[in-house]
Amino acid sequence: MLKVAKRRRLCENVARDAALNLMSPREKHPGLRRSNVCAALAALLMISSAAVCFAPLFAADPPPANTNWLVEATNHLGLWIWDTNTFDKQTCRLWKSFQLPPGAKPLSATLRITVDNGYSLFWDGREIGRGSDWRTVTKYDVTRLLNPGPHQLAVEGFNDRLEAGLMFGLHIEFQNRPDLDLLSDESWFIVPETQKSWTTRQRPAAGWHPAMVIGPIHRHPWEVWPYGLTTGPPLVPLVVHFWQTGWFQLSLLTLLLLAVAGCAWLQAQLSLHARARRLLEDERIRIARDIHDDLGAQLTQLVLLGEVARREQPDKSSAQAQFNQICALARELSHGMDEVVWAVNARRDTLRDFTSYVCKYAQLFLNPTPIRCRLDVESDLPVIAFDLPVRRNLFLAVKEALNNAAKYSGAAELFLRIHRAGERLVVAVEDDGRGFAPSPSGGDRHGLVNMHERLEKIGGTCELFSAPGAGCRVVFTVPLISSESRGWLPWLRQPSTPPKSELER
Amino acid sequence: MGDDDVLLLHNSHGLPHIAAMMPAYSSPVKVVLVEDKPGVRDSWVKLINSLPGFACANTCASGEEALRLIPTLNPGVVLMDIFLPRMSGIECTARLKLQMPKLQILILTAVEDDELVFKALEAGADGYLLKRTTPESLRAAMLDVLGGGAPMTSEIARRVVESFRRASQQPRPLVHLSTREEQVLVLLSKGYSNKEIASELAIGTETVGSHLKHIYEKMHVRSRAEAVARYVSGNV
Repeated sequence: MLKVAKRRRLCENVARDAALNLMSPREKHPGLRRSNVCAALAALLMISSAAVCFAPLFAADPPPANTNWLVEATNHLGLWIWDTNTFDKQTCRLWKSFQLPPGAKPLSATLRITVDNGYSLFWDGREIGRGSDWRTVTKYDVTRLLNPGPHQLAVEGFNDRLEAGLMFGLHIEFQNRPDLDLLSDESWFIVPETQKSWTTRQRPAAGWHPAMVIGPIHRHPWEVWPYGLTTGPPLVPLVVHFWQTGWFQLSLLTLLLLAVAGCAWLQAQLSLHARARRLLEDERIRIARDIHDDLGAQLTQLVLLGEVARREQPDKSSAQAQFNQICALARELSHGMDEVVWAVNARRDTLRDFTSYVCKYAQLFLNPTPIRCRLDVESDLPVIAFDLPVRRNLFLAVKEALNNAAKYSGAAELFLRIHRAGERLVVAVEDDGRGFAPSPSGGDRHGLVNMHERLEKIGGTCELFSAPGAGCRVVFTVPLISSESRGWLPWLRQPSTPPKSELER
Repeated sequence: MGDDDVLLLHNSHGLPHIAAMMPAYSSPVKVVLVEDKPGVRDSWVKLINSLPGFACANTCASGEEALRLIPTLNPGVVLMDIFLPRMSGIECTARLKLQMPKLQILILTAVEDDELVFKALEAGADGYLLKRTTPESLRAAMLDVLGGGAPMTSEIARRVVESFRRASQQPRPLVHLSTREEQVLVLLSKGYSNKEIASELAIGTETVGSHLKHIYEKMHVRSRAEAVARYVSGNV
């Protein structure tokens, strides 16, 4: 180990210095007797050997100008202590607990430590410092860590080679009582390596044994020591904020987990809902397709067959007349079926489809009548969702209004107007016929009760404006966002659009 | 509900007028039917043959067969079912029109689906009919397209107006409607009949028909130009 060689060299230096000190008076006084020289030489020998023995007591190197640091470093230090056996690459855990006397008011607390060769220092389980140079004493100001109650000092020392030791001192000054020194001595315990969370242990456990005192300061091989003093960083108590505490983090975690679980549950509900809706739409599309494919195709064929058969009958025969009836009936049936398919088909759940259908219907309906049908439809109506109950009831109400106009108005022209007004759809049926005086108690000649009921069902309104000789105007207003609000999930509102051929073929 | 076909097809020409245009001695107009269901096909053939001035020259059971046969037959009118196995009636129409731009194609459909009809018209169809139409209306529609007219419903008219207006807002519209064409379309979309449009605009009923015909052509041209533009810009 280095220190052995160093120690020898230092001792030689000390001896030489001592010899020089002894010799100088002789040089100063040349008149000294020869016999005295011999005696002096003998003395020198004696002294030099004594110097070798007592070298540790003298400052090794020329003492620095200011030796306060040395005094400070060594004044409040204990003894070298270590495990009972020492070996290379050894880790030794040393532990001591102390209690601040009740009512004591500490003014300052300074901790000094060094370990040959290195250490980690723990204060109440918290690592507050490390060192790896045994020749330097490190000083820590632990005043602010010194709260009342028990404290645990723990040092994990590490020995590289040969001798090992811990030197420790905690000096506490009080306001109201004498100073206290906690030094390294046999009251420290050696903690076995198997011990867990030993740095925070309040009491020594079974199997811990007292530390062995190796010797005092400057004991061999640490005769010339220390080389320096360093001051550790100021230590402040750890402030544990409430969000750093375990219970808080646990509650937060629980809360988060609950929230996640809640979200998952909601998501599942939503997807179930969406799935149910999708299933319903799929089912409606399937029904529409089945009606169309099976019945529709056969009805079309019936019409064709009827037409062909009719042509094969002699003109104006009763058979031909009956075939004519069959054809007309089959066409009507086919048309009625189209209406059912339109109503059932989820693909038609849009405002645009509704508009297109109502316009076609009005034109067809009024075609055999003397009333000219005029359309006034807002251009570029969006393809927004228009649910089945809404479109069905609105359509039936319009049908009623058209029926009234055809039956009673005697009009020449009828306007079907479809416009949007903000979030509402306004459908107006206007004729220029003879009109009437609407009376609240005038019975239900015009199917008004019916129309009102239909519109109420879908959250809309129905208004009638008429006067004798001034035509009639029925205005239906319905909300465009359906009452069962799914507004915050707009994608669920999109009508599903399966490939066309699926329906049509 | 009455006879819907009268309304579906606003004849631009009266029947007697066209009949007068066709000399009595001329051979009947050749009609080719594209329809995949054999039973329906037979009925149609009988019906067509029963119409004065028309004869069903041939039938095709698929779009592929139609593409092979029709150019060799050079018919006056093609009646095209919209739902065919494999190649759809719309695609078949587009391909036929590419080869024979003068060919008159009427789409037959079982349901009124404006979107499908619109697509068929863009593909180059000259009109459309419901399958349950009366033979008289079928004859009227065929005569109409042969006479240079084009049947159009108010629904389709509205869509056509909207589509052209939307297209004209784009930076480089490919095809424009003329003012008169737009006037005709707007009146049609408001429910006016061809005769009413004619008197409203002080033009002949034939002129209304030919305007509609031009509009169809423009739709077809535009959709093709758009297809080319999409192809060129790589957005296919």
